Amino acid sequence: MKQAGVVIAATQDVAACAVQYSNYSVRFARVALCVVGCVFGALSNAADIPLYPTGPSADSSFVRFINGTDAALELTAAGSKAKVQLDAKTPTTVFYPVRAKSDIKGQFTQAQSKSDIATTVKAGEFVSVIALADGAKLTHLSIGEEPDDFNALKVSLAFYNVSAKCANAGLQVVGRDVLLFEKLGVNALIRRMINPVKISVQLLCGEQATGAPLELGELIAGERYSVFALPSASTTRIFIASDAVAR
Amino acid sequence: MAAGTLAGIAMLVLGESHLSLPGYLMNPLYEDLTTQGATVHAIGACGATASDWLKTVEVPCGADRFKGDTVFKGRAATTSPIKELIAKDRPNLVVIILGDTMASYDNETFPRAWAWQGITGLTKDIAATQTPCVWVGPAWGTPGGKYFKNDKRVELMAGFLEKNVAPCVFIDSLKFSKPGQWATVDGQHFNLAGYQAWSANITKALAALPVVQGLKK
Repeated sequence: MKQAGVVIAATQDVAACAVQYSNYSVRFARVALCVVGCVFGALSNAADIPLYPTGPSADSSFVRFINGTDAALELTAAGSKAKVQLDAKTPTTVFYPVRAKSDIKGQFTQAQSKSDIATTVKAGEFVSVIALADGAKLTHLSIGEEPDDFNALKVSLAFYNVSAKCANAGLQVVGRDVLLFEKLGVNALIRRMINPVKISVQLLCGEQATGAPLELGELIAGERYSVFALPSASTTRIFIASDAVAR
Repeated sequence: MAAGTLAGIAMLVLGESHLSLPGYLMNPLYEDLTTQGATVHAIGACGATASDWLKTVEVPCGADRFKGDTVFKGRAATTSPIKELIAKDRPNLVVIILGDTMASYDNETFPRAWAWQGITGLTKDIAATQTPCVWVGPAWGTPGGKYFKNDKRVELMAGFLEKNVAPCVFIDSLKFSKPGQWATVDGQHFNLAGYQAWSANITKALAALPVVQGLKK
């Protein structure tokens, strides 16, 4: 399991051309034929392939936005009038591809409260920008991860804990004495691979079961998911989201 | 005359530069597969990565061989979206031969997120058509050369593909030879003997796969 920290804000092989003949003219003719043959061989094999890159100059980077509050909010990108509504039915966006190290700017808006977003994403990093309520104010937190567990035969499940009310968070499989995650600090994430099975999980804060169990549904091999533990009015709630990437 | 090991199978074979010149993998593989009874449409696109087969992308060279006709292309070559190719050809097996173009041999860091995004994009599009598929990974090259191919990275690339190409079945080309056994012209592209050996091994490995045996008529 990995735990991530918080990020605020032609030559042809001219082989076998050795010729040994005592007669100079025969030797010359054979060598000449050999050279011509080798050169043509080289041309037919390599001359027409222009050099091309064998990968990108930098790894891909992604960012997504999550509504971690109890009410709907709007997300706008800087310089754009387009708005995305994040509510109870759709609390997260997909991961959008972004250029590594570029400035990501936008704004969360909820009623009269606003929270300006300014973050960057490293090459190979997946950053989640999570809107949170701080009393009557709106704030946000960015948590990044650089996964290396890509596997089409397993389910990849992350657990984000952004609830200050839930220290040492864990997820227990309902009906079984199995902990998927345990002792996760606040404002941190942890990820592991599991088999593609249908399970429900119970949030633990410390060793205390908190809130109702969450059915994770049919988890599909090769897909990536996140369970978020978020502060709610009097407790901590959890929900699951797909880590889908925009195409 | 005994039926070939691939009798009755219509294959769409896609690849990178290895499938883009006559002296490369294109001709020996096409001939080996058809000799075993398969109907083959093989398309090569120099430098094309997995995600390039989700759309139309211009590439520096390429080749297209179908029903005996071969067209080797220069800068007019492009990739085509996999779903369009499958809809047009209606193959009962897709074979992807890709790896070297995604290994980032000249970069100290392997671009995992980028590779994962491209590979899963392609396998998902193939899976959406319910066409079985096989992914052939890269073979050993010779260290150095203009592409900076090296044993450590090609091994990493093959391992990454093995974990991430499902539901396609993976064929590990590294098992076909020892590092450096097949001579190359530039560290990455083999001479004809190497391509003939790679082709024979791919053909044999394909015929042995349960998914392929289930398709034989």
